Amino acid sequence: MPTLTIDNQQVTVHDGATVFEAAEQLGIVIPHFCYHKALGAVGACRMCAVTVHAGIFKGLQMACLLKVEEGMVVTTGDPRSVEFRARVAEWQMLNHPHDCPVCDEGGECQLQEMTIAGGHGRRRYRGEKRTYNNQQLGPFIAQEMNRCIQCYRCVRTYRDYCGGRDFGVMGSRNRVFFGRFQAGPLESDFSGNIVDVCPTGVLTDKTYRFKSRHWDLQEAASVCPHCSLGCATLPGGRYRELQRVRSGINEQVNGCFICDRGRFGSSYVNHPDRPRQARLAEQPVTVVDALQQLAGQARELIETHGPEAVLLLGSSRATLETNWLLQRWAAELGCRPPLLAAHTPRHQAARVAAFDLADRLASLAEVRQADLLVLFAVDPLAEAPLLAVALRQAVRNGGRVLVYDPRPVELPCEFEHQSLTVLQIRNLLAEETVESTLLRELLDRAARPVLIGGGDLLGAGGLRHLQRLATKASSALRPCLVHPVLGGPNSFGSALLSPPEPGEDDLLTRLESGRVKMLVCLETDPLLEAPDGERFADTLTRLDELVVFDYLPTPLSVHATLFIPSTAPVEAAGSFINNEGRLQLFGRVIEPGLPIAVTGGGDHPPREFFTVTPGSDPQPAWQLLQQLLGGRADLQAVRQRMQVALPCLAGFAELQPGGPGLRAAAAVAPGRFEESLPEQPLGSLQLLVTPARYGSDLFSRYADKLAPRFSAAGIILNPQDAAERGLNAGERVILDTDAGSYRLPLTCHAGLAAGCALVENSAAFPHLVPGGELGFCQVSAEVAHD
Amino acid sequence: MPLLRDIKGSFQPFWVTLRNMFRKPVTVQYPEQRPELPERYRARLILTRDPDGAERCVACYLCSAACPVDCISLQAAEAEDGRRYAAWFRLNFARCIFCGLCTEACPTLAIQVTADFELAGRDPLKLVYEKEDLLVDHCGRQPDYNFYRQTGIGVTAPRGGNPGESPPVDVKDLLP
Ligand code: SF4
Ligand code: SF4
Ligand code: SF4
Ligand code: SF4
Ligand code: FES
Repeated sequence: MPTLTIDNQQVTVHDGATVFEAAEQLGIVIPHFCYHKALGAVGACRMCAVTVHAGIFKGLQMACLLKVEEGMVVTTGDPRSVEFRARVAEWQMLNHPHDCPVCDEGGECQLQEMTIAGGHGRRRYRGEKRTYNNQQLGPFIAQEMNRCIQCYRCVRTYRDYCGGRDFGVMGSRNRVFFGRFQAGPLESDFSGNIVDVCPTGVLTDKTYRFKSRHWDLQEAASVCPHCSLGCATLPGGRYRELQRVRSGINEQVNGCFICDRGRFGSSYVNHPDRPRQARLAEQPVTVVDALQQLAGQARELIETHGPEAVLLLGSSRATLETNWLLQRWAAELGCRPPLLAAHTPRHQAARVAAFDLADRLASLAEVRQADLLVLFAVDPLAEAPLLAVALRQAVRNGGRVLVYDPRPVELPCEFEHQSLTVLQIRNLLAEETVESTLLRELLDRAARPVLIGGGDLLGAGGLRHLQRLATKASSALRPCLVHPVLGGPNSFGSALLSPPEPGEDDLLTRLESGRVKMLVCLETDPLLEAPDGERFADTLTRLDELVVFDYLPTPLSVHATLFIPSTAPVEAAGSFINNEGRLQLFGRVIEPGLPIAVTGGGDHPPREFFTVTPGSDPQPAWQLLQQLLGGRADLQAVRQRMQVALPCLAGFAELQPGGPGLRAAAAVAPGRFEESLPEQPLGSLQLLVTPARYGSDLFSRYADKLAPRFSAAGIILNPQDAAERGLNAGERVILDTDAGSYRLPLTCHAGLAAGCALVENSAAFPHLVPGGELGFCQVSAEVAHD
Repeated sequence: MPLLRDIKGSFQPFWVTLRNMFRKPVTVQYPEQRPELPERYRARLILTRDPDGAERCVACYLCSAACPVDCISLQAAEAEDGRRYAAWFRLNFARCIFCGLCTEACPTLAIQVTADFELAGRDPLKLVYEKEDLLVDHCGRQPDYNFYRQTGIGVTAPRGGNPGESPPVDVKDLLP
């Protein structure tokens, strides 16, 4: 623990720290370009020069590279280093095109800041400026190479940190170029991060091109809703339009980076068909009237038909506060407690995570530090993209990754893939086999093992076996942690609020009983978000009233007899609990309302003035529920009541958006093993439904920015299975499942385990939803019609 | 001596009036008589064009950031050829204090002041000028500056074709 003096202040830092980090600890920011805390130092830019007065290397030194020694004396404001840094800023500007007014980085550009800080205002060099031709890098990233200062941050992020292969540095002497070998869309699912790291305007967000300046944006710390990991984000909006998302920083979760789904999938907020008006039987009504109508009808139905008559349905994409208030409203109405998720198997898997696994949940930070990671039925790039990046960091630190999955899993790092069917994986977890003994030995030898389980394919039963394996592999010296991957951004939260009850029945059983007269869907559409959408659709005709609260133009909202618009997650504060039980708050970024780009039709905003903002009817769901409850408490007061009612949420009311969040730890309550694995019918294939990387979760499905990455519908078989059935790749085949028959084009992939059929849930194929019970299907050739 | 002071105070104004009655009046009989304003007088703002006749404004938002009373709002957009321009640009003269800070912030010399001060009217909405109302057909006080002919991103001139630039490098060239 050396102690040194920087600018006359003493600081003690850990061994191996650099002068840069020591200064940061004192709150002194040394100017820099190439250093980035996630990427480390490379000493490429020479901007971080400081003067060392006492130490082994005296004189001008690069703070980002220089390791701290005991008794060092360093100054950052010494004339020598100030002069040196000013010259560095000046030569960084030698080839700069002087086009800041038309550059999207302007206003948040490190080069601008350093140039101004260095006092450089006039170009003295009389030589010619070097220029480059730009590349088309696809729909997300715009490139303007003339602005490059060769700091290498982009390559270090894209290749080294995120494991992308198709972007790099090429060329020699002062022709060094950062891009692809040939123009074309960037392939990595994490490409957007190079926008955040590039300290100049070379790499900018194409979807945000020329929209706003940073100083005009409304921003707030937020949480990404696109998967269960809950990465920290910084969305920004202006003129009532959500315009971009940057990565936030949460060292426990995503670190400094996010995936492209989270970054470019935010435009659902601006969807042109977004319902913004309350409707009663197709007629516009005010929100107040709609709520009155709802409260009156619900009470009446319960009085005449009993507590079963009204069914309240919460959601894994509604906030924790909303789901909790829904429970309070049910108690007040006297109906049965609400179901907090439409997707029962996913909800049960989330309950295993919340209760059985409560004491051994691993954060993404722990995944990054693990030395052995075993993935059971998880395809990170599809289910939890940033997990793939975390796995890569583990491998870069010397860790080993084993994957048991039927799908042709791709990862941006080295890993060993065992292609097993879901049944085989579940047997591996449940029984003592040779393979499982070998695995146990590996786990016993590991210092920091983490098991990662996909809730969708393993289900609650599989996750419980995973928990048992983790318990066996734990020792007094070190635990074996589990990182479960769940369905929605608040699946864990919904589960935490509704501990399993004996004799519980699910949504469809209740609806099919015929006793339900009114269904209230709070920010959920079981037609798209639950398995058996068609069975659900059939039950709708038996209802007298279908009430929908939502902010997305879902098909269910069209069917609703009473529709009440709620706000999207960025339009109101709230909280989600991510897959490892981390309670995170998010703030309000923009206020709800029709974007000015819409009201003005792209031209000047209308010249009429109103006292209310057009399209500003949507209210936060928690606020609507508060009105139904007749309460006036604000969000803070609701949180206070929640932390009193639920001890596992202690500290909720003091939490702030941003920061690491809070582990919401429930008491461990192991569930029962009710494992009876289904038998695979002869000649059938195991049906695997996986989320498409883009367009599976409803947020990204309604995000037009992601449309270029949407995939087409299709079915994938192992070539051997296809040959056995006489099917050829490229032709249309018939997929017969319990839920229905579908005609899909066939692709063959040797990476898919034999005996499985793989379909992707996406906008193009919404019929089968991931995470259902283990099912079987038949695939056959299309019968030619005569 | 308050009494003496009061007497003096009662008569002095008459004296001042009397003295000025024989001076040449400075009042200008506006509007019959036009006032002569200094050349750099700051009144109605205009959006000028560059010497090639294209809109100068690149919608950089600097004027709206500089404006102390927040009376400029605009939205940038991209033209087919990559040129950045203002899709709309609104300036509220009912709020403008004619400080000229916007013109100082403007990096392209697009927004400029004129000496036309005759903006008064009864309807404040008429003082909300849109881009069509602001855009003029000349270069204003700066006849020769053209941002896109100075800046090296190749919108008006081909890439590497502006003064002081070398043609684009061949990045696959390995020669020393
Ligand atoms: S493109 Fe940006 S991040 Fe990459 S080297 Fe150039 S300035 Fe640095
Ligand atoms: S990994 Fe999940 S939570 Fe994180 S940015 Fe991507 S979609 Fe959002
Ligand atoms: S002159 Fe001053 S007040 Fe008027 S628009 Fe310009 S900056 Fe704003
Ligand atoms: S500062 Fe000049 S170029 Fe920029 S938006 Fe204003 S008028 Fe246009
Ligand atoms: S930050 Fe130290 S050399 Fe670039």
